[in-house]
Amino acid sequence: MRQDAAAYDRLQILWVAFYCVVGLLGVRLLQLQVLRNVSYVRQAERNRTQIIYQTAPRGRIYDRKGEIVATSRPTFSLIYMPGKQQGRGDLAGLAEDLSSELGLKKETLLNSLNDALNEQAAVHLAENLPLKTMFKLAEIKTVYPGVDLVVEAQRHYPRGAFASHLLGYLGKLDHEGWKALRLSGYRLDSRVGRSGVEKIFERELKGRDGEIRMEVDAQGRLKRFLGREDWRPGGNVHLTLDAGIQAAAEEALKSSPSKRGAAVVVDPRNGELLAFASVPDFDPNIFLLPARDPSKAAAVRIPEFNLGISGTYAPGSTFKIITSAAMLNGRRVSADARVYCSGTFHVGNRMFKCWQKKGHGYQDWLNGIANSCDVYFYQIGLRAGGEAIERYEKMFRLGEETKIGLFGEKPGKRFGPEERRRRGKDWYDGDTANLAIGQGELLVTPIQMAGVIMAVANRGTIWRPQFVRRIEYSDGRGAYEPKPEVMGRVDLRPEVWDLLQKGLERVVEAGTGGAVRIPGLMVAGKTGTAQNPHGADHGWFVSYAGRPGEPPALAAAVLVQHGGHGGSAAGPVARRIIESAFWLKPSAPAGGTAAEPIERRLVEEGGAGAAEPGEVGGPRKARALAKTKPASTQPRPARPAQRPAPSVEISE
Amino acid sequence: MRGRVDWILAGAAAGLVAIGALGILSAASPLPQYATIVQKHLAAIGLGTALFLFGLGFNYQIYQDQSKAVYAFTIAIMVAVLVVGTHVRGQRAWFRLPFFMFQPSELARLLTVLVVANFLDRRAKKSQDVLTVMGAFAIVAPVMVMILKEPDFSSTLTFFPILIVMLFCAGANLAQLAAMAAYGMLTLGLPLLWTLLSTNPGWQDAVPAGALILHLAEFRWPLFIALAGIVLAAYLAWRLCLMARTQLPGIVFAVAACVVVGGLCSAVLVNRQLKGYQRNRFVSFIAPEADPRGAGYNVQQAQIAIGSGGLWGKGVFSGTQSRLGFLPERHTDFIFAVIGEEMGFLGGMAVLALYLMLIWRIVNAARVARDNYGYLVCCGLAAYYGFSLFVNVGMCLGIVPVAGIPLPFLSYGGSNLTTTLFAIGIAENIYARRYALL
Repeated sequence: MRQDAAAYDRLQILWVAFYCVVGLLGVRLLQLQVLRNVSYVRQAERNRTQIIYQTAPRGRIYDRKGEIVATSRPTFSLIYMPGKQQGRGDLAGLAEDLSSELGLKKETLLNSLNDALNEQAAVHLAENLPLKTMFKLAEIKTVYPGVDLVVEAQRHYPRGAFASHLLGYLGKLDHEGWKALRLSGYRLDSRVGRSGVEKIFERELKGRDGEIRMEVDAQGRLKRFLGREDWRPGGNVHLTLDAGIQAAAEEALKSSPSKRGAAVVVDPRNGELLAFASVPDFDPNIFLLPARDPSKAAAVRIPEFNLGISGTYAPGSTFKIITSAAMLNGRRVSADARVYCSGTFHVGNRMFKCWQKKGHGYQDWLNGIANSCDVYFYQIGLRAGGEAIERYEKMFRLGEETKIGLFGEKPGKRFGPEERRRRGKDWYDGDTANLAIGQGELLVTPIQMAGVIMAVANRGTIWRPQFVRRIEYSDGRGAYEPKPEVMGRVDLRPEVWDLLQKGLERVVEAGTGGAVRIPGLMVAGKTGTAQNPHGADHGWFVSYAGRPGEPPALAAAVLVQHGGHGGSAAGPVARRIIESAFWLKPSAPAGGTAAEPIERRLVEEGGAGAAEPGEVGGPRKARALAKTKPASTQPRPARPAQRPAPSVEISE
Repeated sequence: MRGRVDWILAGAAAGLVAIGALGILSAASPLPQYATIVQKHLAAIGLGTALFLFGLGFNYQIYQDQSKAVYAFTIAIMVAVLVVGTHVRGQRAWFRLPFFMFQPSELARLLTVLVVANFLDRRAKKSQDVLTVMGAFAIVAPVMVMILKEPDFSSTLTFFPILIVMLFCAGANLAQLAAMAAYGMLTLGLPLLWTLLSTNPGWQDAVPAGALILHLAEFRWPLFIALAGIVLAAYLAWRLCLMARTQLPGIVFAVAACVVVGGLCSAVLVNRQLKGYQRNRFVSFIAPEADPRGAGYNVQQAQIAIGSGGLWGKGVFSGTQSRLGFLPERHTDFIFAVIGEEMGFLGGMAVLALYLMLIWRIVNAARVARDNYGYLVCCGLAAYYGFSLFVNVGMCLGIVPVAGIPLPFLSYGGSNLTTTLFAIGIAENIYARRYALL
């Protein structure tokens, strides 16, 4: 019995409908496989390939004698490569197991695991693993797919806390930073130079990371080796630094009274930095150690402040070098002119004191600078004039960045009549007196003072400080060697240079700088004690040294923050620097017969140190008092009467 | 035998089995139980071929004569599996036999087609009667309930298209079929709508009265008010039509009200039964990108596999998506994705073309069948294979929600393959006996 025709029509309808449905499937197949093929091929490739990156060893950093101060060494890292099929549920267990082994917080681990899963990229869970942990982790590795141990080159600073402000340190990229750098080959777990040489020469030091392309399955297990690209190590940077001098400087600063300070040591012949110490310093290795708790590691506060370029201080008596240059070169006052120091000096109705309460008696220039007699320089300064001193201040490049190329350099602050005028204010004779002994509003950085003493040592050239000797590139380019660069020139007559150098030698031989007297060496310098309204005085010592008969080979500016008197606080630091530079054994500040008088003198100076600048109320107060007598702008009838003539006696 | 055997049908089936075997050979190769899988599959092909030959030679009219025995056997194996069956992955759907596992629901599906065909043939004269539709459903209902009890939601689903197509082809009343379809759509559609609304709070505002619809998902007073409102509305509509002097009988409104009320109630029941993963499958079909590692993962990886195959494919045994395990269920439900990846557009089109050919020949067998019974059996078989193809391939291509329905001939699964080959044998026999007088 057969069905009627209507039923066949129904079957026919269904057949046509089915025909259309298969056609639809065919069209969809065409769309996926032919039209969108490229995109799906890419997705499939991304699915199956896992790239294990190999961090290229960062370039080495050498000192000038070839000693390695920063290198790379192999360490074990724990990485995680996410599999496609891994749910977030598995991660919690993994994070828990790892957190007990690594001592890291479970939440932070889980965060990085989730990041890896979202980005579908391998992450470092822990670096620099100790051997013991490594063996334990080897077990976890077999339980959880995707977890693997790899050997990587990691930064290492063999000397630890050494030139840390100059070398800088490495830090991890944050997400924003990574986005900006991802095109230049940085990964989310890359480390990047955060300061100092590591930051400045990041490009040269970095090298190119290698990668191993592996085929992985959905669980993240490695299946097959697909190919590799070897890393290229970073270029080496040779510094001008002398590790011996640097170490001596840091050690000396750390044993100074306040354990805070900076030492800038340059070669006066070309401006190369021989040592660049700032204390307190830090050990850049701490950022690379296996952190027990990353949140704590992130909060580690390091003394990143580089006193050598970012700390600004009044130069104190070291400024008398410039006052002397202004006076001697200006022919206004003869070096033989004698001034009587009674211990005090009056400008108008203001009394300025000498650091030596009982006074120095009659002083010519040579004695004045050797004894750092304030009264002598008050009077000389007034005679030379504020404008002249400011001109030389500028010539010696004070109040101006050296553009050494390190981050955070401060220009300091110039002080003088012109500067005052620029800000629409009046200049007074009291200010000139203050300026003459390096007080007042003048603020300089230790590296600027290194420039001043360098100019005296080499008779007039201020080289721009340089810390790079040579950069060797890893890609076959020739090495780069920067040339010495003149930053400024101080034009003084030759006899003035002779006098200045003689004066500074005298300071060491028979003056306040006895702490650095070293038999067999020519050492010259100047002490300084910068009055500080916020606390104890800052001690300065600027000096240069050389073998007798040779041009000076070293110029150093030492600052000991809140260290008290320059001769006693900063002097020993300078001594250690000079000794180490000339291969001498460290010794007591002054040996033999000379010891006693110098010690006594230092004690005396130290006792009067706070009063040395001669003003009880500090620079601010002094300026306020001195306002009673505007010097340059408004000559008053009373002016002649206020001349400090009575206590000045100038003998020809 | 010339003119007796439909070589095109047999050839299409053989071609599909061959492609499927190649796909399984490749897809299962990274699995640890590879050897077992291959052995079992080859054994299933052998057994299936034997059953095919048996079906080819065995007079199909005997199935009709012994219909009661066939039905009793169907019920018996389904009850047995619920009692003594083996649990696999939470489903009690398997018999553990000496050498292999057997899934009786696959055989039950084929036997149900035979039983329903007999029933519809008997009622051919009264095909317009509502009792024909009700009766057919009544015959299938016990089997479906038992399969649902295993639980195997996807397999249960396949009974609907088979039944509806068979009823449709048997010349059932379209209005009755429409009512049935409306009931079915309410029962299945509302739980999905509720799932969507409850997982996407934003949609509650987008859909008119979204929050209100969500209140109907449980047996609480809003649902009862709605049911009463529907009955009242139907009654008012009837009165209105009476006043307008339209000739619509009252039964229309009564049935409409019953369908809506019944649909709502069974929708609430189904909604209670739905498992979390089943909801997720549906959500992931609507928005597969929302959670690429969750329920949408399978669909996305299948599309990547197929799309990356390109025109020529990556070559058998060279598909990265399948061999590295990115593709889930690769030798069973997602075998088409493996074929698409390794054999490319040409392989995929070959599968579609062979299937089209296969169903064309089954439909042809239906047309030339000597009796109504053979016609209906062929309609049922065509419906099942056509529906499976659409749902399975559509799922791999991302145009149909994920339902765990295997692709007959190609997917790994001995019960399905042997039953399928047996069914093709029956279709061949129907074709072969087209001229026979007895």
